[in-house]
Amino acid sequence: MKGTHLGEFEELVLLVIGVLKDNAYSISIKEELKSNTGRNPSIGALHSALNRLHEKGYITSHEGGATTERGGRRKRFYIITSTGKAAVTKSHELRSGLFKLIPGMS
Amino acid sequence: MAEHPPYDPPRWANKLLEWFCCPDHLEMLQGDLYELYQERVKNMGKNRARFYYIFDVVDLFRPFAINRDRNSPFSSLTLLENYFKVSYRNFLRQKVYSSINVAGLAIGLACFILIFLYIRDELSYDKFHTKHDRIYRLVEHFESEGVGEHSASQPFPVAHTLLTDFPGQVEEVVRLFNFQSPSLSLSNVAREREYNESRIFLVDSTFFKVFDFKLLQGDIRHALSEPNSILLTKSMVEKYFGNEEPMGKVLQFQGNQDLVVKGVLEDAPLNAHFQFDFLISFSTLYHLPNFHYKNNWYWNPCWTYILLNENNDTGLLASYFPGFIKKYFPEFISEDIKLELQPLADIHLKSKLDYEIQPNSNESNVYVFSAVAIFVLLIAAINFINLSTARATKRAKEVAVRKSLGSDKRQLVNQFIFESIFLTSLAVVIALVIVFFVIPYFNVLTEKAIGFSTLLDPGYVLFIVALTLAVGLVSGFYPAFVLSSFKPVKVLKSNHVPTGGLSFRKVLVVLQFSISMMLIIGTIVALNQLTLLQNDDIGFRKEHVVMVPVIRTPMAGHFMTYKHEALQHPGILSITAVEEIIGAKHQVGNYKFEGMDKSRPFPRLMLHHHFINTFDITVVAGRPYSEKFATDDSMALIVNEKLVKQMGWKSSQEAVGKAFSLGEGHHGGGKIIGVVKDFNFVSKHHPISPLVLDLNTIPYSFNLFIKYMAVRVHGNDLHASLDVLRSTWEKLMPERPFDYFFLDDRLNDSYRAEQKLSDVAGIFSFLAILVACLGLFGLATFATEQRSKEIGIRKVLGINNGQIMALLSRDFLILILIAFVISCPLAYVLLNQWLDGFAYRINIGLWPFVIAGMATFLVALLTICFHSMKAALVNPAMALKYE
Repeated sequence: MKGTHLGEFEELVLLVIGVLKDNAYSISIKEELKSNTGRNPSIGALHSALNRLHEKGYITSHEGGATTERGGRRKRFYIITSTGKAAVTKSHELRSGLFKLIPGMS
Repeated sequence: MAEHPPYDPPRWANKLLEWFCCPDHLEMLQGDLYELYQERVKNMGKNRARFYYIFDVVDLFRPFAINRDRNSPFSSLTLLENYFKVSYRNFLRQKVYSSINVAGLAIGLACFILIFLYIRDELSYDKFHTKHDRIYRLVEHFESEGVGEHSASQPFPVAHTLLTDFPGQVEEVVRLFNFQSPSLSLSNVAREREYNESRIFLVDSTFFKVFDFKLLQGDIRHALSEPNSILLTKSMVEKYFGNEEPMGKVLQFQGNQDLVVKGVLEDAPLNAHFQFDFLISFSTLYHLPNFHYKNNWYWNPCWTYILLNENNDTGLLASYFPGFIKKYFPEFISEDIKLELQPLADIHLKSKLDYEIQPNSNESNVYVFSAVAIFVLLIAAINFINLSTARATKRAKEVAVRKSLGSDKRQLVNQFIFESIFLTSLAVVIALVIVFFVIPYFNVLTEKAIGFSTLLDPGYVLFIVALTLAVGLVSGFYPAFVLSSFKPVKVLKSNHVPTGGLSFRKVLVVLQFSISMMLIIGTIVALNQLTLLQNDDIGFRKEHVVMVPVIRTPMAGHFMTYKHEALQHPGILSITAVEEIIGAKHQVGNYKFEGMDKSRPFPRLMLHHHFINTFDITVVAGRPYSEKFATDDSMALIVNEKLVKQMGWKSSQEAVGKAFSLGEGHHGGGKIIGVVKDFNFVSKHHPISPLVLDLNTIPYSFNLFIKYMAVRVHGNDLHASLDVLRSTWEKLMPERPFDYFFLDDRLNDSYRAEQKLSDVAGIFSFLAILVACLGLFGLATFATEQRSKEIGIRKVLGINNGQIMALLSRDFLILILIAFVISCPLAYVLLNQWLDGFAYRINIGLWPFVIAGMATFLVALLTICFHSMKAALVNPAMALKYE
């Protein structure tokens, strides 16, 4: 069975989708990742992560309209699901919980 | 609307994406890449944007994006895994077959790769010169009525006269000269290192303009322009100077002339048709005392190479030759001379002239070796096909089940071809390992220096991959189609295993054994021919003759003393001196005999007294040269029977007393005093031609003509005799190193090409028959297994063991008999053709065929017997119970 474990890069992508709200599609996610984390994933790597998130049920997607800048092809927008939100929250809590336990760090 | 026209991404990359991407993702991914592309063109230009686009497409080769649909090309990706698994299981289940299969193919491939490397090396000779297609060697044919010489070398003035007379055609010329001497001496006086060197040449200063040999130290433009300059190779620097810096140092040449080292040469590549250790400037020659040959158009000791101008064909220059010959060559020989241009790259394989710089290889060897290579590979591939088809019948059920479960024919074909390629790849890997370990021995056998690293060249890697695929496909093709065409219902229902391909297999077995037998017959005949060449009667005794190079040594002044002192020793029987190695080479001289209106060139050997008894040659009429007759030296001649016959004299007795004159006819003359029985004064590649034995005892002859002292020693105590020869030499000429070789060793070298041929043919035919027997072993295993039930029943009914063996062997032995019948006439015709190339040849006779047939038959019988025995000895109950 596929685990529901959230990988580090997947987590970043999930967060960015949350940040971008209604405008989360591949190119904007890529741009956002680049400006916020300095990472510049390839399209292949990004879609690979999106695909995994989709399989795990953390995101859903719907298609937008065709645009000229894409040569008349449609965009696919991503929205974070409630399980997705729960997963991010859980991951965040886990981290901050552990973080607080480190002596001399709070 | 965008304010600029959209940019088009590279179309082929887009097509690639469409080809492998699954339709669910395609539109979105295409869109993404398109958008990115537009952005990137603006930011970083078209080229880099294109590069990124292509990179991204390749990067999308990820599991999620790849189309896994049944009809897409990648459905088989998962199947591939399955193919591999099935192949692996099959390999393990039938260990014996599989190992035989792979081992046979590996041996075949290893042979093929080795021979391929050899042939490639042979074909690469002299091609490393960048101008090799414009370089020609000038060849001189000097003969009259079929007697004379075909010389690889020219008189001194030819080269430069051509250059001045035909500047439109000839760009550059270079001559090589070594006094036609077997060795010349060099010494580093300061370090007391002195040796006789054989690979030493005087060359024109244009040497490096024509050839591409490299100079490691020194100025390549002027290194050879001054007299008394010498260049030596790196390995020779070590020999003469150790770690000392050689540049500017002095080497003493022939004990009396100082040469200055002007450069260090890189060792000549092994695939150059002449090898050198030292190069001396040609002008050095003109400073020698008594050198009168600068403008002599008769004596032809200079190897002459011509660099033609670009875009110049040889025809035009060649058309000037007749006029050139008439204008310059002496009148009395000009009619008998023809010049020819020989392409540089042809020399190694095609040239068989008199006075080659070193013995060349043989074109027909290359053909024979290629044939052997292909034969061995063919035998191995046939094994592969045979065993695979035989095995296939065992897998009929597997195929039937697969088919009923919906596997289509294409997938089955793929499956079997995959298996075949899988096994071939395994065999190739093993073959490469074999080649790796065998290559040093192979190099010894073929006298080459081929490195395994040659195979790592991208071209070779590609070649090997292509070879793997080709063998895999060809040998997998047949089984693949036979197997996949089995009718599932038939197989599953009737439990009937189709024995498909049996007759095809039989044809292949016959083919295999025909080839093997031809190889064996060929090897036996080649060996017989070699024995004939080396050991048959040659008309003189070559055993126990020590040859000592004496040309251009002080021997001229000491010969009488030397002879006298050495002959005191009982082990030394007789001493003479000769112009060339008897049995290998001769020179040519112009003679005019009684009854001829002008002189003609005849093969000639100059020699000293006691030649006849040293070489044990029979005198059939007259008498040998004798010290008692002072006139023998210039006024007497000994000829051979062939010359008598050609002159049309009735008998040898009649020939004695006939008059002759030398050269143009006004240089003295005399009478024939004796006739000797014909002997092979050159190798048996040539028939015996007329010969003149000319006594020349004037001391000066040691400078240019008399090259060797020949000593017949007693066979019992060679060491003592050699010691005497050496110590006498050292006493008389302490400044010159002593050198010697045995005549019979050197004469066997003349047949090196044949020796190599029979060695290589022998080894590879052995391997061929081994591989063929491996295949037979596999087939026999299979056949016995298939008939185990039949044998069980027969045993119960009372058959005895001998009858079982006969029953099982009969089928195969009949095939071998057919192979024998096919191979005999074929081998006979081919070998006859090969033998026709020799002046002396064996009759093939019956024995090679009998031996080859018997050997193959016996080996095959043994192979099959192993299985028949096993089948015969097994308890019938076991066989019958087994389901």
